[in-house]
Amino acid sequence: MSIAFVLAIAFAEVLYGQQAAPLHELIDRQIAAALSAKGISPAAPADDAEFLRRIYLDLTGSIPTVGEAKAFLDDKSPLKRQQLIDRLLNSPEYARQMQRVFDVALMERRPANRVPQAEWEQYLRESFAANKPWDVLVREILAADGADPNLRPAARFYLDRDGEANLVARDVGRLMLGRDMQCAQCHDHPLVEHYLQADYYGLIAFFNRSFIFTPKDNKQPAVIAEKGEGDVSFKSVFVDGATDQPARPHMPGAGGPIEPQFVKGQEYVVAPAKDVRPLPKYSRRSMLPELLTARDNVPFRRNIANRLWALMMGRGLFNPLDMDHPENPPSHPELLDLLAGQIAAMNFDIKAFLRELALSQTYQRTSALPPGVASVPADSYAVAQLKPLSAEQLALAALQATGMTDVYRASLGASLNEPALYAKLAGNLGPFVSTFAGQAGQPEQDFQATLEQILFLSNGGVLRSWIAPQGGNLANRLGPVKEPPAVAEEMFLSVLTRRPVVEEAAELKAELERRAQERPAVLQEWIWGLAASDEFRFNH
Amino acid sequence: MKRNFACGSIEHRISRRSLLAGMLGGSVGAGLAHVSGLSHFIRPAMAGELAAQQKRVLIFFMAGGVSQLETWDPKPNTDTGGPFLAIPTSVPGVHISELLPYTAQQMHRLSIVRSLNTAEDDHGKGAVFMETGRRDSPAQQYPKLGSVISNLVAPPSAALPGYVHIQPGGGGVNKADAAFLGPKFASVNIDDGKPPANLLRPDGLTPAIDQQRNDVRRRMNSRFTARRRTAETEAYGFSYDQALQLMERADVFDVSKEPAADQERYGKHDFGRHCLLARRLLEQGLTCVKVTHSNYDSHSENFDFHIEQLGEFDRPFATLIDDLAQRGMLESTLVIVMSEFGRTPRINHLMGRDHWSKAWSVALAGCGLHPGAVIGKTNDNGTEVTDRQVDARHLFHTYLSALGVDATDNYPGLNRPIPIADPTGSEISELLA
Repeated sequence: MSIAFVLAIAFAEVLYGQQAAPLHELIDRQIAAALSAKGISPAAPADDAEFLRRIYLDLTGSIPTVGEAKAFLDDKSPLKRQQLIDRLLNSPEYARQMQRVFDVALMERRPANRVPQAEWEQYLRESFAANKPWDVLVREILAADGADPNLRPAARFYLDRDGEANLVARDVGRLMLGRDMQCAQCHDHPLVEHYLQADYYGLIAFFNRSFIFTPKDNKQPAVIAEKGEGDVSFKSVFVDGATDQPARPHMPGAGGPIEPQFVKGQEYVVAPAKDVRPLPKYSRRSMLPELLTARDNVPFRRNIANRLWALMMGRGLFNPLDMDHPENPPSHPELLDLLAGQIAAMNFDIKAFLRELALSQTYQRTSALPPGVASVPADSYAVAQLKPLSAEQLALAALQATGMTDVYRASLGASLNEPALYAKLAGNLGPFVSTFAGQAGQPEQDFQATLEQILFLSNGGVLRSWIAPQGGNLANRLGPVKEPPAVAEEMFLSVLTRRPVVEEAAELKAELERRAQERPAVLQEWIWGLAASDEFRFNH
Repeated sequence: MKRNFACGSIEHRISRRSLLAGMLGGSVGAGLAHVSGLSHFIRPAMAGELAAQQKRVLIFFMAGGVSQLETWDPKPNTDTGGPFLAIPTSVPGVHISELLPYTAQQMHRLSIVRSLNTAEDDHGKGAVFMETGRRDSPAQQYPKLGSVISNLVAPPSAALPGYVHIQPGGGGVNKADAAFLGPKFASVNIDDGKPPANLLRPDGLTPAIDQQRNDVRRRMNSRFTARRRTAETEAYGFSYDQALQLMERADVFDVSKEPAADQERYGKHDFGRHCLLARRLLEQGLTCVKVTHSNYDSHSENFDFHIEQLGEFDRPFATLIDDLAQRGMLESTLVIVMSEFGRTPRINHLMGRDHWSKAWSVALAGCGLHPGAVIGKTNDNGTEVTDRQVDARHLFHTYLSALGVDATDNYPGLNRPIPIADPTGSEISELLA
């Protein structure tokens, strides 16, 4: 461990421990300094409605009810934003939203073949409900062998990649170290000087002795097993006459474990045999969790700090999130160092870290450009970024917007709680997920709008049925409301989490008066028009 | 010696510096040309140039593995040749199987590659290699040809999807085809006569009501984007307008709108209708159409199987080639007839042929490929390639070159550098006229 690093941690701990300057203020100072150096003026703070919709989507995965929106907008307390952040972070909806975010991040929508999706989700949800630190979660995921029933879901990372060493190593690099070294499989990365073939194989060396062991008794689940011997070697396909070079397990650019040497034939507690799960005296795979999550493994903390930053701010300090290398430098290098140091000093407390991000002015800016400003660089954080809703956010927000969630709430009566309500909502997510989610095994892509998605929203039966009046949903509630301004207020609060501007209320009023005989049709056209708008599709 | 491979040497391509600038230099606001992610919406010069040239691609996928010996590389009167004769074609000296009499008359418009050795005898992995030009790798999936065409060649402003896959019982979207290019470039799967899901408005939603609710949407968008316009908001709003345009043209997918005489010429069976639908879609401006013909996996009764399947394939395929040529479209349409592999020269005890990737053939046409050309040779009984051995990497480079795409470039608009075609392959230059 370098002296500079020890000092950095100590410094961070002093700052954090004493609350001398909370992290959110340090963030704002750094962003402000960079803006000032570039002569860019930041946008104004988001108004309450814009903040409200944003924080609900980010921390709970959906939008607030009309009642919640009104209560917040009409609250006069100067502390109401902080109070809302704290309330949402401690809600069961937070744990479920983080479960979704980290499920997609870690499994990238791969099929659940060996660990049921529901068990994996429950494991993640309980982890986030208990605010399990990120390094602990990663250690559990990498150490689990599937044999311990309590931690079997954690083994899904490995089991549902079929124990394929290249794939597991690549994804450990991408998702836990922020480095996609796939191109270094066959040669030193041609475009990224710092991604070396030797480092890629150093990661593979933790996994190449492991394999999925299927017990002879088919009722027993497949588990991860490991051999006590077997090395990896590599040579560049781009160098004629290259000779094989051995790779020992190690973190990229760092050392590896000191490995015990055994006499040939003495490597095992349980030797490999037909239908026998071998048990080596020394397990390479079990060396990885501690090495990867070690306090002095800088890429590990940069990765999680950058991913959580991107979750809230809409883009990573380095982008893509798995291309951390000197030729793709972060937009704010000192800020990334600060965040990485702080999250380590906070013992990888995800909730506390997200709280600081949410409290920052940087997070709480409007997404609208200042008047008269044509554009600002996206990586300046001068305005809030538009974030496309995930498939699940879109479905949950549409259910709430159309009032269908209210219908389910009412149906639960006194037994209303988050799991019961979610059980009702869950069955509605499928068509949205299959239409809007990315392809299994691919990282989340830049925003794309496909024909299939637009036709699903335009002509599909799902959204159509939610918009049609039924049992206390939005269209049904609006039916008897006489005064056009009251109709506009309820509709805009329900769908867009804000009150209408004068012009919008006037347009709706005029349309309701002009087509008085077609009132239900007008209401449904407007609900659809709002739900199909950019303002709804993006978290702004 | 260090070889000079494409993903390392990029002199005449996107420089690393400009690539990184592209990755980092995103902005918010009116300066749309500088917004990262815009690439999916308005792509740079390459797509524009190609759009002007109206290139199209038609892929026939002979699922299961068609026999090269019963099609493009017959070996009559040998121990492996089977019962069928080789017949002369419209190109003097070139013979193909007698199971393809109509196709033989189009030989002057086709090219054959007889020297494929793809070394992959598994259906799934063979299909991956042939359709992506890269060997199957657990750690990285690559897009299939149709998605690549949709991404690089299809005009971004077209209302029609860039890549349609016609197959019996088709429907939905195959996102896996597009891999990292994203679902916008996935295949839209259709069965004959049935448009993509949700293209037709449901009962009660009249065009007038649809227009009114879209007007609400547009007014909302114009207020919202007055100070929040990004490439993403542009793409989202534009997609609704494209979908509305396509709803007006829903009969593009309806093959029954074709003249009765043409329906007769192509045949009323599935494959005949699918070929006619492919012609219709290409004529209407669709960029890439893939037609799957199932199934050629003839582990037993190979010869009966091929009489039946090729009997269905031959005439509509030949008719389509002739029609494309007559209409002046063949010179801008690349036609590919491929499988996941060929079939064993050895005839097994069930009179079948098994999976075989060591020496087999594909047929190509159009788009400036050398007509009538026969590339490569196999030995007398077809058990080995004896001249100009190539594999799926070389074919993939060749397809893209024929379309005017520099396959050694990286994909434009991605947030990481990925070469379009496998850098360890190269084009079959003697095929490119």
